[in-house]
Amino acid sequence: MKKVLSKILFWSGFGIIPVFMAAAMSGKTTISGEWGVAAYIVIFAAIALMYLGFELETSSPREIAVIAVLGAVGAAGRIAFAALPNVQPTTFIAISSGYVFGPTAGFMVGSTAALVSNFFLGQGPWTPWQMFAWGLAGSSAGMVKSLSPRIGRWGMAFFCLLWGYFFGWILNLWSWIGFVKPLNWQSFIAVCAASFWFDTLHAAGNAAFCLLFGPGFMKILERFRHKMEVT
Amino acid sequence: MLDRFFYREKGLFLQSLHPLSALVYIAVLLTLALMFNHPLYLLGLLSITVAAVKAVGGFDAWKAFLKISLGATSVIIIVNVLTVRAGQTVLWGGPHIPVFGRLDVSLEAILFGAVMGLRLLLIMSIFCLYNFMIHPDRVLDLLSRFSSKSGLVLSLAARMFPAVVSRIDGIREALTARGVDFNAGTLKEKMSKYAVLMKILLLTFLEDSMETAEAMYARAFGSGRRSCYVRENLRPRDGACLAASLIALVTAVYGWSKGLGTFGFYPQAGNLIDGRTGIGFLFAVIFLLSFPLLLSWGWHIWPFLKSKI
Repeated sequence: MKKVLSKILFWSGFGIIPVFMAAAMSGKTTISGEWGVAAYIVIFAAIALMYLGFELETSSPREIAVIAVLGAVGAAGRIAFAALPNVQPTTFIAISSGYVFGPTAGFMVGSTAALVSNFFLGQGPWTPWQMFAWGLAGSSAGMVKSLSPRIGRWGMAFFCLLWGYFFGWILNLWSWIGFVKPLNWQSFIAVCAASFWFDTLHAAGNAAFCLLFGPGFMKILERFRHKMEVT
Repeated sequence: MLDRFFYREKGLFLQSLHPLSALVYIAVLLTLALMFNHPLYLLGLLSITVAAVKAVGGFDAWKAFLKISLGATSVIIIVNVLTVRAGQTVLWGGPHIPVFGRLDVSLEAILFGAVMGLRLLLIMSIFCLYNFMIHPDRVLDLLSRFSSKSGLVLSLAARMFPAVVSRIDGIREALTARGVDFNAGTLKEKMSKYAVLMKILLLTFLEDSMETAEAMYARAFGSGRRSCYVRENLRPRDGACLAASLIALVTAVYGWSKGLGTFGFYPQAGNLIDGRTGIGFLFAVIFLLSFPLLLSWGWHIWPFLKSKI
């Protein structure tokens, strides 16, 4: 029962965002016609639901320690690759973690990497959206594994490439909702067009990470997953 | 630089507030920034926020936030000009653009974009204030009372981050000593070199994580409810700031529901001061939000007040 409840809470966190976006575009406005407050309430509620889902799951100290390490490595990856513009392995690390350890672990690694790195780089209005986007990248990789266990190297690279764009689009949501009017597809496309080259660099970097050191990385993670299961 | 938090402890009044009071103050500022769209309200809130940033010694860092905001404001203005058709004062009738339709640049769209840029600067300033006002450990401590596992993951990761960054430097130095030049070669070659670095890093820390887990087992983690010790006390200063923030929020929501603090941009921009402005209401909200700043000022110059709060 607790396990089912944790799954429901976890996945309902993801469900909130598309519903909210559709509501924002439907033309029915809030009291003052502003969606900014609602956007922050929704994103914090989505993250809280997913954290609650993780809380209700049974996790061993090993799982907790591994998630924390992967989150810290993902966060530090943002610094290691700072010399390459918008090329950062955090998305790839969240995806690999989700693929190997499952959707909940993937979410925790992605969201932890975002929050912890911003403790040191500086928190901004983008933090909850980064937490959500990287968390979702990790979780979706876990879903991909259950849907297509033999996705292959190129399939995974394509998935990582797509996430370069998805990540940018999710981050664009806060600026689109908070600062643009009217909220429609045209304005959303205009906001995404403004970030196209940044997103493309991110996507190309993700695919390159996956192709260059994806198999080696996965092998290490699989080894530790196996180690956690047998000891 | 990355071996310590963005936060800097300076022993200031605003930094001494209970994390709950500080978080409520920040949350109220953020809510009001997103609620009101009147330029005067946004300017009032910005002045309070910048004064608070100065009071926590973050003014130099705020200048960096200002630069980011100015860059993003130009994008916001362009997007609004491209997509808004509701403005009446058309400054330039442009060509037809696929997806967006006819490009008409209106004064109202530019004005709306500029005011939204002001809102963006305000939101960035509020986050700048958050960065300098609340120590991350105190927030994580507060969080761990409600969510022990997630709080632990975040605390562990925050502790490990400086170690990971310094280990990156160590591995990089070791690889450089062995002839690896991280700055030479094509992008693909550079990424391959960094890939080796990341693999070593991952292996080292995953091995360490097993030891961390052993230490957690040894401390009986998971055997029952996690112990939680309350180190933070609510003092009179916290009660005063909490009350001022909440009264400001209630006042603001009441006025907002009556239509105050909203500015009509379309079809034609309204007057800056009219019946919907509510100057007295604006001053009331600003006064309530500046209460923690007044206390901060009094705390520094009046030892009696300092001893009482």
